Amino acid sequence: MTDRELAHLIKMANQITINLAYGDSLEQSAGRVSDHIVRFWATPMKNKIKSYAQDGGQELHVITKAAVLRLS
Amino acid sequence: MLQYYDPIKSSHIVRSHDPTKDYGTPAVITETGYAPKLLSLSIDGQAITLPEGTSLMRAAAEVDVNIPRLCATDSLKAFGSCRICLVQIKGRKGFVASCTTPIEEGMVVRTQSEDIAKLRRNIMELYISDHPLDCLTCAANGDCQLQDTAGEVGLRSVRYGYSGENHLEMEKDTSHAYFTFDPSKCIVCSRCVRACEEVQGTFALTIDGRGFESKVSASQDEDFSSSECVSCGACVQACPTATLIENSIIDNGIPEHSVLTTCAYCGVGCAFNAQVRGDQVIRMVPHKNGKANRGHSCIKGRFAFGYATHKERITTPMIRNNIEEPWRQVEWNEAVEFAALKIRQIQDKYGKDSVGGITSSRCTNEETYLVQKLIRAAFGNNNVDTCARVCHSPTGYGLKTTLGESAGTQTFDSIQKADVIIVMGANPTDAHPVFASRMKKRLREGAKLIVIDPRRIDLVKSPHVKSEHHLALMPGTNVALLNALSHVIVRDGLEDKNFIDSRCEKESFLQWKRIIGENKNSPEALEEAIGVPAKNIIAAAHLYAKARNGAIYYGLGVTEHSQGSTAVMAIANLAMLTGNLGREGVGVNPLRGQNNVQGACDMGSFPHELPGYRHVSIDEVREPFEKLWGVKIRPEPGLRIPNMFDSAIEGGFKGLYCQGEDIAQSDPNTQHVEEALRSLECLIVQDIFLNETAKFAHVFLPGASFLEKDGTFTNAERRISPVRRVMSPLSGKADWQATMALSNALGFDMNYRHPSEIMEEIAKLTPTFSGVSYERLDEEGSLQWPCDSEAPYGTPTMHIDEFVRGKGFFAVTEYVATDEKIGKRFPLLLTTGRTLSQYNVGAQTRRTENLQFHTEDVLELHPYDAENRGIVGGDMVQITSRSGQISLRAKLTDRVQPSVVYTTFHHPGTGANVITTDNSDWATNCPEYKVTAVEVRKIKSNSAWQSQYEAFTKRQEFFLQEAKT
Ligand code: SF4
Ligand code: SF4
Ligand code: SF4
Ligand code: FES
Repeated sequence: MTDRELAHLIKMANQITINLAYGDSLEQSAGRVSDHIVRFWATPMKNKIKSYAQDGGQELHVITKAAVLRLS
Repeated sequence: MLQYYDPIKSSHIVRSHDPTKDYGTPAVITETGYAPKLLSLSIDGQAITLPEGTSLMRAAAEVDVNIPRLCATDSLKAFGSCRICLVQIKGRKGFVASCTTPIEEGMVVRTQSEDIAKLRRNIMELYISDHPLDCLTCAANGDCQLQDTAGEVGLRSVRYGYSGENHLEMEKDTSHAYFTFDPSKCIVCSRCVRACEEVQGTFALTIDGRGFESKVSASQDEDFSSSECVSCGACVQACPTATLIENSIIDNGIPEHSVLTTCAYCGVGCAFNAQVRGDQVIRMVPHKNGKANRGHSCIKGRFAFGYATHKERITTPMIRNNIEEPWRQVEWNEAVEFAALKIRQIQDKYGKDSVGGITSSRCTNEETYLVQKLIRAAFGNNNVDTCARVCHSPTGYGLKTTLGESAGTQTFDSIQKADVIIVMGANPTDAHPVFASRMKKRLREGAKLIVIDPRRIDLVKSPHVKSEHHLALMPGTNVALLNALSHVIVRDGLEDKNFIDSRCEKESFLQWKRIIGENKNSPEALEEAIGVPAKNIIAAAHLYAKARNGAIYYGLGVTEHSQGSTAVMAIANLAMLTGNLGREGVGVNPLRGQNNVQGACDMGSFPHELPGYRHVSIDEVREPFEKLWGVKIRPEPGLRIPNMFDSAIEGGFKGLYCQGEDIAQSDPNTQHVEEALRSLECLIVQDIFLNETAKFAHVFLPGASFLEKDGTFTNAERRISPVRRVMSPLSGKADWQATMALSNALGFDMNYRHPSEIMEEIAKLTPTFSGVSYERLDEEGSLQWPCDSEAPYGTPTMHIDEFVRGKGFFAVTEYVATDEKIGKRFPLLLTTGRTLSQYNVGAQTRRTENLQFHTEDVLELHPYDAENRGIVGGDMVQITSRSGQISLRAKLTDRVQPSVVYTTFHHPGTGANVITTDNSDWATNCPEYKVTAVEVRKIKSNSAWQSQYEAFTKRQEFFLQEAKT
């Protein structure tokens, strides 16, 4: 991957998942992750990761991917 | 409802106090809740009632009878050695020393009589017969208590002559950079010795010998510079004669006026009287009534102010089109027009979001507020961040989530009531020295200490202080350890059930408890990862949980990790679990790094929060700002510093306004940062020196030091203290004026005439500041926010009956090991820290005599690791991480454990951040400075980065010279 910014965003998003998945349902965990991203990420960052997720989001954890796809 | 509690009012110090007066002995402080017993007596015919325990000397001072004294001063316990303070008590024979004699009910005291006068004169005569009579040429002339006292007792002649055996030929000790010791003038009052013990807690001085032979000596007869002395200056301040005196007084004479201000170094926020002659600061004397420091200071605040007039200060604005061009000196107007045009061009070409700014934690609240206002209103986005990103942003997130407010819960005074103190990932004796002295005092009184740190910091063992437990964990395992502590408390039923039931959210507690109780969180399961035996963890957990008052103090060793926010929440959980919140002596206390990092955060320097920590997405929060500023504010968070860098490298972010922050040196993964800075089309740097970041800049706006402007700083206790102008800004503009000029050039009008008007605006828009104004600050000296109509005197202790968020929230804190793992290639863990004499990246302290206390950054490593690599102390070694390579001199020490290495980052050429990685805290992107896997080997020359650095620096210095010629 050449886009280091995207690589970093993926890493950050997955890191949020690891810290906010408490072992409850995918629904609940993804909710917490997406809330966090909504509250703390800038719009260009959200857009970038969202389009990555929409293109398959290979390197996103399932919970991360679910969370990112929820972003409005 | 929030309640406020004022320790001063409730500790029954009976009278109001004149901070300029020396009452001779300390005021009596009674434990809260106990009314002191009051006693009435008469002094020279005046009746007075005071609390039991007060000395006669102090009682007399309360009725304005000032008894002569030499060995007594109200910052130290009475000692009773000089006997000049003798008084008579009716019905008793002879004379008593008024400083050591407590008042009694019905006493009738005389402080003046023929007999007393004669006795005092005799004593004075003895002192003077062994004192050089060079008053007229003495540096302390006009500021000497021996002189004053001789006057007060009416000494007119010395019958013994001056030819007897004396000390007049003793040699001066001039080894210290900031003060001189002239033993020939010593009257052996031992005030210096006691100040070093009682106030500073270093025990560096002793009185050697007895009787005539007795003299003061630093650490068993060494000179000051090679003794244990930490140069706090308390002894110099306590000395009644010219024996210990500041070199600046010897050089310049006695100052003629004094201005009350606040230290611009660390987050303790000590109050100082800047003693001035004209507009030259002669000395800084800690303010006795300063509520953060209670009359004490450290080497930095007291002595290291010379940088303000250093020859490398840049005082003229400069511009250039590209960083490979020499600078051009210009007028303010041209500089801001140039900057504004560039910013607007960038925004036209790359969009509104392509620019942003960084507010300074060294500037005042008012200045920080203005910069974020400029970004939100004139740039039109929320791309504003501050250096707290790289230090305490996890504190903001963690405490807001659990307790509801992003700041520490106590006053510094609160430590006087703590029984068990946990210090985690902080090194107060180096980084927060004045607070460390308070802590050591409490430890000497018997409080117990638990140190959680990979390195053996000074507090673990120092004179008269020894920690009960030192949990020397592996870097990166904070959360594991905190979870294990909570696990033990829950497992052994030591939690405070009442507190949890009444103060905390039930559901979150139960979820947390279920997870914390799992075996994977037990000390037995985690001891190997943590590197601390389970039994030590259990013992520490019991000690803290069973304490009447348990207080936690933590620093960057907690926050600067990939789980920094988690660790902060785990700390808050621990405090809630044991009921250690909401009163004095307890609490969760972040020790904040920079002088105004608390203030910068409070003032809306985060991309997602407006002043007062309120999220930008909330309409009711934005509305009042929009109305007053006359612009729309974006409801979406902006970019944080690391995001700005990433985006700059990918081409989306092009312009940055950076006020008083040296990101090129202080942020991790230097090469990445440098790449980002080189990608910018317009970098505006506002600073007092051409710092590392400015070497990449296109516009340089000269900043003003704290001595050159009015404003306020907010310290780690949420205490807002005044900063006052002592000299005019060297560049003609204080930083707030520079920001205004830039804003006006951008077409967004700002027209404040004085920082007090900015504070009025802040108070209007920020509920927690609504009761703050310059008038109120003048009246109270300082105010701790929240300060509003419910708490007009501020809020020393937070969360008293209720948490700010209502019920306390137990956040789940699962331990996730960092990605930064040791392996074959990088078998050691590097962690970083600070040293006492230097401040942060050292831009100021390196430009003072403090440099001689720390000439280079070194790499500490354990002799075991050194031996394996054939390294001996003093060798140059190369340190390699996944990000880069640097070289440093090795220092072998068992302060660090095997497989852990340590360095400081005060010198730019060290490039400690060349090797730190861009891993960061999951919640806030706070970089993981404290854990980097490295390998160390012996070498002969500098690293490639360092050579490149030297070449680049040379070139940039040339460009600066060009501008000046
Ligand atoms: S400067 Fe401070 S540490 Fe040094 S001897 Fe004086 S009181 Fe002690
Ligand atoms: S050096 Fe000053 S404070 Fe210390 S014993 Fe001598 S006169 Fe007193
Ligand atoms: S650096 Fe910190 S401890 Fe030292 S004088 Fe300044 S505020 Fe006080
Ligand atoms: S002042 Fe009382 S004995 Fe010295």
